[in-house]
Amino acid sequence: MIRAVQITKEYRTEGRVHRALSGVSFSVAKGEKLAVLGRNGAGKSTLIRLLGGVELPTGGFIEQTMSSSWPLGLTGGFQGSLTGNDNMRFIARIYNKPFDEIKAYVEDFAELGKYLSEPVKIYSLGMRARFAFALSLAIDFDCYLIDEIIAAGDQRFQRRSHEELFEKRADRSLILASHMGDFIKAYCSRAIVLHHGRGNLFDDIDLALQVYNDL
Amino acid sequence: MRKFAEDFAAQSRVVGALLIREIYTRFGREGLGFAWIVGEPLIFAIPVLLTWSVVRGSSEHGVPMMSFLWTGYLPLLMFRHVGGRMLMFVRVNAGLLYHRQVTIFDIFLARCLLEVVSSLTAVLVSGVLFYSLGMMDLPRDLPMFYLGYLYMIWWCAVIGLIIGAFSERTDWAEKIWQPYSYLYIFFGGVFFMAAWLPESLRGWALLQPSVQAYELIRAGMFGSAVRTYGDLGYETTALAVLTLIGLLLMRDARKYVIAE
Repeated sequence: MIRAVQITKEYRTEGRVHRALSGVSFSVAKGEKLAVLGRNGAGKSTLIRLLGGVELPTGGFIEQTMSSSWPLGLTGGFQGSLTGNDNMRFIARIYNKPFDEIKAYVEDFAELGKYLSEPVKIYSLGMRARFAFALSLAIDFDCYLIDEIIAAGDQRFQRRSHEELFEKRADRSLILASHMGDFIKAYCSRAIVLHHGRGNLFDDIDLALQVYNDL
Repeated sequence: MRKFAEDFAAQSRVVGALLIREIYTRFGREGLGFAWIVGEPLIFAIPVLLTWSVVRGSSEHGVPMMSFLWTGYLPLLMFRHVGGRMLMFVRVNAGLLYHRQVTIFDIFLARCLLEVVSSLTAVLVSGVLFYSLGMMDLPRDLPMFYLGYLYMIWWCAVIGLIIGAFSERTDWAEKIWQPYSYLYIFFGGVFFMAAWLPESLRGWALLQPSVQAYELIRAGMFGSAVRTYGDLGYETTALAVLTLIGLLLMRDARKYVIAE
């Protein structure tokens, strides 16, 4: 279970306070799949980063009784100047997992071949997505925090992600920020729509998507 | 107790992983990579010490010049490297905070440890070199010498802690660090001993933890041949208070972190 209670996040830029999130509350039970909807700049990525513990909320708190992945997005989580293999070694060490197992899984899933011995900064967005996703699946979390990353991969990657995440790991939770309506409709049972820092929860995905489209 | 042991093991693992990563990213993985950790400070130290010992003659206030410079300059390198590496150390490593088990304190520890180890290895290598060339004697009172270095390491780490945490909060930290780390060469105790100062200045100079640590190191280096003014009680108290301030600032710094 992950529970966010009245979380607020403010950023100070050029002396002005900008409130990205303002009193957002929700909870995600084990196995539940929650979509995070909102226009660009509505605070989706901020919310995912707060849930991942990358940044701290200005107000409110987040309670967690299950393990959650780091935010899987197009930035963060890796050292660009290090190779894929070295990044894997680092992550295997800090999560206390055997490197060989992690490597075998990532090699199979991400299909990056010799690119694993190249610096991560030369990876294309799709390669980065495959790498991040494979690595987080190899570590194995109760809840995956996904920030638009699946969309960056190709068809084959999307199909395989689907198998791994929704078939083999159907009991895991998912918090997914995305603009892909069909995708959300297929997998998520609830949604939170962010607008002007406020969050509205919907148990009806169609209604949530409709509200989002009307924003 | 068991919980503590587990936490300790987990934290050592994270700091170890950060340390390896730091070495890879700073020095590369191939060739000389690892040797640079020692080589870098030596490239500063050896030419500077040799030049000065030639320019300034063989002794100063009755102490052998080379030994004096060696006890002054190498800790200065440690101070400047530890402090300099901590400027905005969280911001440049914000990507690491994507992983929950990495705390900013772990990043601080790993960076600090690498700089300290690198500086101490340079102390050892240059010391052995100058000794074997007959340019310098060994420290007369080794336990005192080590104790002095221990306090010097503590002082450098505390400065790193404070400057690092402070630099995440305001750009002023960098603006203050530049002149401070330069002026420190003159007033930090690098090139003088308390005994050489007029009495009116000595008390002021000894308020600085760095001057205290230098006194201890030199008491170890020259033994009873010189008069030193190190005060362990004062030094320990001063550093403990500064450590506390640094830790409080550090805890606060997490709030200012903005990830990529």
